[in-house]
Amino acid sequence: MDQIAIVCEVNGERRTVLAHPTDTLLELLRDRLGLSGTKEGCSNGNCGSCTVLVDGAPVNACLVLAQEAPGCQITTIEGVSAPATLSLLQQNLSKLGGTQCGFCTPGIIISAVALLADNPAPTEADIRHAIAGNLCRCTGYDKIVRAIAVTAAQQHSEQGDGDGA
Amino acid sequence: MAHEFQTVATESVGQRIERVDGRDRVAGRAVYAADLVRPNMAFGRTLRSPHAHARIRSIDTSAAMECEGVLAIVTAADFADVPVGATIPMGETGYDMWMVSQLNMARDKVHWVGQPVAVVAARDLHIAEAALALIDVDYEALEPVLDIESAMRPDAPVLHDHVITRGAEPPAHLPSNVCSRTLIRRGTAREAFDAAEATARISVIVDTAHQGYIEPQAMLAEVSADGFATVYTSTQGQFTTELMIARMLDRPQSKLKVVPMEVGGGFGGKIAIHGEAAAVRLAEKCGRPVKLVLSREEILQGGSGPTMGAQIAIEVAADRHGKISAILGTYRVDAGGLPGANPSLMMQASAALYQTEHLWLEGFDVVTNKPRTEAYRGPGGIQGAFSMEQAMDELSLHLGIDPLEFRRRNAAVTGNTMPIGTPFPSIGLISILDAVGEHPCWTTPLAEGDHPRGRGLALGYWRGTSMTSACHVTVGGDGRPIVTMGAVDISGTRTTMTQVAADQFGLSAGDIYVQTGDSKSVGYSDGAAGSRVARTMTAAIVEACGDALEQLRTRAAALMQTTIAEVAYSRGIFSTADGGSITLAELMQETLTAGAIVGRGTSTKLPLGVEIGAHICDVEVDPDTGLVTVLRYTAFQDVGRALNPVAVEGQMQGSVVQGLGWALMEGFDYDNHGRLRNASLLDYRMPTALDVPPIDCVILETPVPNVPYGVRGVGEVPIVPVAACVANAIRRAVGIRTCRMPMTPERVLAAMRASQKQG
Repeated sequence: MDQIAIVCEVNGERRTVLAHPTDTLLELLRDRLGLSGTKEGCSNGNCGSCTVLVDGAPVNACLVLAQEAPGCQITTIEGVSAPATLSLLQQNLSKLGGTQCGFCTPGIIISAVALLADNPAPTEADIRHAIAGNLCRCTGYDKIVRAIAVTAAQQHSEQGDGDGA
Repeated sequence: MAHEFQTVATESVGQRIERVDGRDRVAGRAVYAADLVRPNMAFGRTLRSPHAHARIRSIDTSAAMECEGVLAIVTAADFADVPVGATIPMGETGYDMWMVSQLNMARDKVHWVGQPVAVVAARDLHIAEAALALIDVDYEALEPVLDIESAMRPDAPVLHDHVITRGAEPPAHLPSNVCSRTLIRRGTAREAFDAAEATARISVIVDTAHQGYIEPQAMLAEVSADGFATVYTSTQGQFTTELMIARMLDRPQSKLKVVPMEVGGGFGGKIAIHGEAAAVRLAEKCGRPVKLVLSREEILQGGSGPTMGAQIAIEVAADRHGKISAILGTYRVDAGGLPGANPSLMMQASAALYQTEHLWLEGFDVVTNKPRTEAYRGPGGIQGAFSMEQAMDELSLHLGIDPLEFRRRNAAVTGNTMPIGTPFPSIGLISILDAVGEHPCWTTPLAEGDHPRGRGLALGYWRGTSMTSACHVTVGGDGRPIVTMGAVDISGTRTTMTQVAADQFGLSAGDIYVQTGDSKSVGYSDGAAGSRVARTMTAAIVEACGDALEQLRTRAAALMQTTIAEVAYSRGIFSTADGGSITLAELMQETLTAGAIVGRGTSTKLPLGVEIGAHICDVEVDPDTGLVTVLRYTAFQDVGRALNPVAVEGQMQGSVVQGLGWALMEGFDYDNHGRLRNASLLDYRMPTALDVPPIDCVILETPVPNVPYGVRGVGEVPIVPVAACVANAIRRAVGIRTCRMPMTPERVLAAMRASQKQG
C-alpha cells in the first residue's frame, strides 16, 4: 500500500508524516509521531482511552482516519500542559487518587479539559456525563470526579483572585 | 556535598500520600508494554480457532510464509509438548503448566473459539493480518458442549480423554467433563435441615464475566545474538511469567529475563502468559524483536480467559430465634475449555462468616467449550456470596429478624472453626457489624422516590494468600535508601512500600526510592494476586531495612571508634551515649567505597490476613422497565492497618464498581456454536461514571497479630458482597429475586411479571 503525506498540527507544532491511507489518527499519533501517551484500549470507540482534542472537541482517535487530520488542531495528553509541568487538573488527579493503573488517565484528562473549557463550574452530574465515554476499571470513578470538581473550584477561585488584582 | 534529608521526617505509614508514580501517569509518560518500540521490530498476530470444539488434522503455513514481509510463523510444533500434570511452583498446589501451554497454543484439539493455533511475525501489522488468512488449518469439527448442565450429562461429548472425576463417590473410572468433586462437611447437615424450625433455599445462575482491564495484553520479546531472551510485558508476576515461558520453550531460565512494565489493570487476568512464549520463539526464528499486542475483540473472544460462571444451590436452616443450624450448598462452576477452576475457595468464602454446627458443601469443576476461565479479583467470591447472602437474607425475612441482627446472632468470631476445619485467626466481624448499625447508611430511613426503593445488606469474606515476597535494600552515597522488590505494582505498591521503608528508616517518604526489579535483579517473588503483596512485601521490607541498618551500625561504630552495642539509630542519625553522632548521609559519604550495604528481606508463610467486609446499598427499581438504579453505596472493611487510606479507598471503590457491573450489566452471551455474541466493550457493557453512585468507604482496623503493622489484604473482598447486596436491596424494593446474574432490566422485569402472575 502506498503511503501518503499528511500535514497536521499536533500540540501546537506543524508536523508532516507518511501514513497508510487506512491508518487511524491513533496510529498516526502513536506509531508515526511517537506520542504514546494516548492509549489504545479497544480500537472501536468504546473505551475512550484514545481520546484527544480535535479543534477543541474530545474525539476517539481510533475512529478518525489520519487523512482527516490535515487542517485540524490536535491536542494529546503530551500537549495539555506546558513542557515539563503538570496542569492543576493533572496534579489533582495524582494527589487525590484519581489515577490507579493509569491507562485510562490520559483520555480522562482530555475529556475533563474539554469539559472545563466549556463549563468552568460543572456539577457532579456534568462531570460524570463528560467522562462517561471513558471507561475506568480501577477507581470506581469517585476520586476522578472529585479531582475534576476540586480543579474547577480552584480555577474558579484563582480567576476570582485575578479579577480582583 | 549531598543534599540534606528533609529535616523533620514526617510520619509515613497511615498517611494519604500521593502515589510515587502518579505524576508520570497523569502526564501520559508511564510506559506500558505496547508503548515500546525497537529498531527493526516485527509485529505479531495470532490465528485463533473459529470452532468451539474440533480436532486439528493438519496446519499448513507454507503459503503464508511465502507472503512478502512475513518473517516467521509458530504453531504447537514449535513448543515443548508439556504433559498433563506438569506444574510450576505457585501457592500450595503449583500452577498447571499443561493448562498454560494449551492457553497459549492449541495442540491436536481446540476447545474454544479463540484458542490460539498459530502466531505470525511480519514486517508490519497489515502483512501479519493478511498472512493469517493464508494459513490452512484442517479442522474436524466436533459437537461443542456449551453449558454446565449439558456438560454433566452422561452422554455428553467428552472434551478431554484424560479427565476422570477426582473425588467422586463412588470413584469414577470413565472420562467425563466433571474434573473434580470437592466436599467440605461437618456434622449431619441434611438431618439438621430437615429438623429445623425455619429454612430458606435459593438457586442461582451466574454468567461468565470478564476482568475488563483497560490495557490489552501486550509484550515485546528480543533475543540477543548469543541467545539471551528479554521479554517486556504486562504481567502480575515477572517470575512466574519467566517460569511459564521457560517451560513452554524448554529454555534454560538463565537465558531468559522478564521485565515487568506498568500494568494497565490485571485483576487476575495477567497471571498466566498470553503469547509471551510465542513472541520469544518468533524473535528467535526471525532474529528481530517481536511485539505482540492483543486486540480487545481477541481478548473477549477467547484470547484471555474471563472468570467462571456458576450454578449454585444453597439451603440454610435456623431455629426460631434465628440461630443457624445447618448450611448446605452445591456449587457447579464453569471452568471453560480446560480443567482447573477449583470451586473450593468459592465454597469456603461463602460459608465462612457464619457459625454453624452442620455444614455440607459440594463443588464440581466442569469443563465446557468456552474460553478457559482465569482468576478475577477474589475468584469465586462474588458468585458464592450472590447465593449465600441471598439465602441468609431470605431466612432473616422468613424469621422476621432484622438482617443485621440476624448476622450478629450468627457471626463468626476469632477462634471459631472455619469451613476448612482450622480456627479463625483474629477477625473483627462483630466490630464491622457494630459500625454498620451506627452508620447513617443504615440508620437513616429510605426516602420516598418515584419508584419502589429498597436497602440491602450483604457480607463478604476472602481468605487471600501469603506465598513468597522478596526484596533488598541498598543505601546510596547520599544516605538515601533504595528498595528493589520482586512485586509488580498493580495497586500502588511502590507508594505503600515507600511509606513502610520510610517508617523503618525514620526518614521522609521523599527520601526513599522503591522500584520493581526484573526477574534477574531481585529475589523470587510470587505474583501480585490473592491480596498478598502489601502484607508480605511489608514484612520483607521490614526485615531488609533491619538488616541494612545493622550493617550501617557496624560501619558507624567503626567510624566512631566504639562498639556496635553503643550505637543507636534514630531518624537518620547514629549516636552514642557520650554525645557522638553521625548522620546516615555522612556515614555513606565516608564509607561509600567501603563496599555495598545490602539488606535482604524475604517473607514466606506470613500468617493470613483474612479480609471481611459488609456492604449496604439503596436501590430504586423502575417497575415498567426493570432498570435498577443504585442510589447509595457504603462499604465497610477491616483492613488491619491502612498503610495509605487513599490506596485502600481506591481498591474498595474500584472493587465495588466492578461488582456493580457484574451485578447489573456484565455477562458473556454465547451463541449455540460457542461464539461470544458480545465481544466488544459496547455490547459487553462495563459501568461508566454515569452508571454508579459515589462509593462511601468505612475503614476499620483490627490488626493481624504477628504481622508487621497488622496489615490485612484489601483488594479482593470488596467485590465479594456487591451482587448479593444489590439483590437483597431489589428484593426489599419489589419483592422479587432474579436469581440470575447479571440482574439486567429484562431479567428483573421478567421476575416481577412472573411474581405478579403468581400473586
